[in-house]
Amino acid sequence: MANGYAGKILKVDLSTKSIEEIPTEKYESWGGGHGMGSAIFWDLCKDKTVKGDDPGNVITLMTSPLSGTPAPSVAGRTEVQAIGLQGYPVGWYTRSNFGGRFSSHLKYAGWDGVVVLGKADKPVWINVVNDKVTIEDATGLWGLDTRETQEEIWATVNDTAEVGDWRGLGTSRDAGRSTQRPAVVTIGPNAEKYMPMASLVHDAGNGAGQGGMGGVFASKNLKAISVLGTGGVSIADPNALLAAREWAYQFAYPGHADEPMSAIGMFPFSANPNSAVGNYAAGVSSRPQGCVGCIRTCRGRTSTGQGNESNCLDFIWYDVHDKAVHGGKITSATAQAADSLQRYGINSFAMEAVMLWFAALRKQGLIGPGREIDSSLPFEAWGTAQFAEALCNSVATQTDVGADLALGVAQCAKKWGRLEKDLKSGILPLQEWGYAHHYDARTEVEWGYGSIMGERDINEHDFNWVVYWTPTICGLYGVEPIVSAERLSQIIAKKGAPYNDPMMADYSDEGIYSEGMAKTVAYHRHYTRFWKESTLYCDWAWADFVNPYGPDYEGITGEGEPKFFNAVTGKNLTYEEGIEIGRKIWNLDRAVWILQGRHRDMEVFADYNYEVGAVPGTTTYEAPYTVPVYEKGVWSYKSVAGRKLDRQKVEDWKTKFYALEGWDTSSGWPTRATLEELGLGNVADALEQAGKLGAA
Amino acid sequence: MADNDKKEPAGPAVKESAEMSRRQFLTGVGGAGIGLVLGGVLVKGFLLPDEVFAVPASDGYLLVDTKKCSGCTTCMMACSLAHTGEVNLSLARIQVVQDSFGAFPNDIEIAQCRQCPYPACVDACPTGANHVDTKHGNVRTIDASKCIGCERCVEACPFTPSRVQWNFEEKHSQKCDLCADTPFWDEKGGPDGKRACETLCSMRAISFTREIPRQNEDGYNVDLRGPSWDAFGFSGAGGASGGH
Repeated sequence: MANGYAGKILKVDLSTKSIEEIPTEKYESWGGGHGMGSAIFWDLCKDKTVKGDDPGNVITLMTSPLSGTPAPSVAGRTEVQAIGLQGYPVGWYTRSNFGGRFSSHLKYAGWDGVVVLGKADKPVWINVVNDKVTIEDATGLWGLDTRETQEEIWATVNDTAEVGDWRGLGTSRDAGRSTQRPAVVTIGPNAEKYMPMASLVHDAGNGAGQGGMGGVFASKNLKAISVLGTGGVSIADPNALLAAREWAYQFAYPGHADEPMSAIGMFPFSANPNSAVGNYAAGVSSRPQGCVGCIRTCRGRTSTGQGNESNCLDFIWYDVHDKAVHGGKITSATAQAADSLQRYGINSFAMEAVMLWFAALRKQGLIGPGREIDSSLPFEAWGTAQFAEALCNSVATQTDVGADLALGVAQCAKKWGRLEKDLKSGILPLQEWGYAHHYDARTEVEWGYGSIMGERDINEHDFNWVVYWTPTICGLYGVEPIVSAERLSQIIAKKGAPYNDPMMADYSDEGIYSEGMAKTVAYHRHYTRFWKESTLYCDWAWADFVNPYGPDYEGITGEGEPKFFNAVTGKNLTYEEGIEIGRKIWNLDRAVWILQGRHRDMEVFADYNYEVGAVPGTTTYEAPYTVPVYEKGVWSYKSVAGRKLDRQKVEDWKTKFYALEGWDTSSGWPTRATLEELGLGNVADALEQAGKLGAA
Repeated sequence: MADNDKKEPAGPAVKESAEMSRRQFLTGVGGAGIGLVLGGVLVKGFLLPDEVFAVPASDGYLLVDTKKCSGCTTCMMACSLAHTGEVNLSLARIQVVQDSFGAFPNDIEIAQCRQCPYPACVDACPTGANHVDTKHGNVRTIDASKCIGCERCVEACPFTPSRVQWNFEEKHSQKCDLCADTPFWDEKGGPDGKRACETLCSMRAISFTREIPRQNEDGYNVDLRGPSWDAFGFSGAGGASGGH
């Protein structure tokens, strides 16, 4: 059937070595990606209270009907879900996501996803070549880094690591041919020893970093999954899809390549190519590089080969330290630091928190040779490639301070007796659930609220570009953003279904505790769960709220997402219906967390968010926070830097949020009525059986 | 009926001589010159005195900028979708091969059909399936109904990877026709229309010309980066900003 789905999901039980197929149709109502992953996890993970490294954990790597298609900035993403290992104090059931080619090749091989259960009795990797799936011995790969592993597997699958010519995939001439390398996702060397820090890495710079998914692989004795496909993805309406892609170009760089966008601010869908270029040393030439089907091409490949395909935190965990010791200039150290992370398969966010924490500890004279935290790391080389490599190596080899960091950052701080005091002062920037401070809960509150209501740093920039970055950058330049705060509130109201309330854009001191902000967070949770994490539209191109090329600067979110989805699937799904599926997925995830022990009492930020003002630069890389506010009947952009959260007001906001979601406001648990309305009666039964169903 | 008749197979000695001439023809100025002269004039191929097979020049050619390409493979997906109704990199008539770990600019190669003035693939076909389509601007293309699956055209293409592919799903050879025949794309294709790969390229790294390119790599691999490219920092002006 031509609907974008491959039609089957690969299920591998490493304990029994069984390889089975799950009909995709069984889970198709969830859309794809995260929705399918959660539904499969719910069905196959028998005991959802086990730890992330338990063989009973189930990990899913899911695609969407749009994977492997020319829908813009969606085809390359793979959604990964499992009980995590990075979170603190609980490694909640969580998600991560990586780009590149893996999801596309999985589709071309004929699979909508991979589900891995159990634990192999020795190191293995899974080899997928079209319908042929084998479990291979990975003993010789286990100690290799992510690049070495991929090169070994490329050579094994293709007989050589070289590319360029057509290669047959079987003895028959009709078995399929390809010029492409297998797409491999792998973990770093001996990652079972640093599981909470361990990423999944694919190609040079695609990582699923947050959550400790590399650790989940390692706990299953699973080194890598390789896929190579020569099949096709059948499209319901090919002409509509091709036409839609061309339509999109009027809102994006390809339609304006001769006169690129010059508006000041951060714009996702319409951005000019390769925002990573500023992370390369002077003199390093490069190309923009994109995941499969990307119009955003946010990263690059360089003339040195350093920093290939990395972007954002891959560099930012180190760039400020590089610049600090090199006269304010980026050197090759930043790209080399990114490569160190990628090759060891270590989460960049965790390492950014470590660097900021160690910088503060150094300033206090607490870390170094013979100090309270005794370390022989080459601190004299701080900011150089040598130090970055040494720090990453210490984690990967569990030497020096790496022996404790390998336990996880929060776990390390606890072992050192510093967790509470350093979270209170803020020198240890772990904002919620042990995850590194990313965007600030005190100022850009939808980010923080979304994270604390969920299970990890949300890492979803939908609002971030328009409510924080653009007005903040414009403020630094002394220019007005292309949309006023009032116009922004109108756009957000139009996109923010089903609430459609302009007060969703109010980030004032009152607005952040309001019903409007509860709607913002609820919309954001539901929108992303379906359109971003199930359909898999890339976070760096979608949502598109504000677009310099759009009518009155309105972006294509609302129109764009279903346009491509329906062309591929032949369905007639509306934007709002997708958001409603997202609400269902969000509630299913919530149910898993509740089975794991979640209660509203746990949903609090690290102390520094209530104790210390959001001073730019002290926790991460923020500039002064300028956001839209509605005060005294007038919309404006205003700096709210220095703001602290009020504990009681946050609690009051939580009550509003729970009520809006149809959850028990005393516990934060969903009610039967809410779950049954979503078609999740079986989930309500499970919560009731566990004594954790919300009171009506 | 094929648009060009095939010459009789030559004996070994003659074939060797002819191949030398073909190579000279392919790489030399004469190839382009003759193509220009013949373009749009002749319907059928003919034998030059040294047994070089010549056909009308194509009315159009794809040019690429491998330094501008982002490796997103949208061109490959668009090509296979427009022609077959499914997205299949293995059935794309343009191939992008890349090394994730490689150093720019040698990390990417784009393999597009050159619509050769002297089309070795056409010459190699024993049935006329691989032919010059005079109804669509003399593009070199495959009549699948005549393809017997010998793959001589696949082997004859002088480039790596071969720009002629074996379609292992439909069991015939296929190659770039400049979108002259795209059953799944409503746009008019061919030299007088639009090409899916060019139209949907995210980086505008593919363009089209009616002029026969110089018969070497530089003739088909051109600079499409435009004046803004250096301003983006791709030439090495980075190193100052960091951050997002």
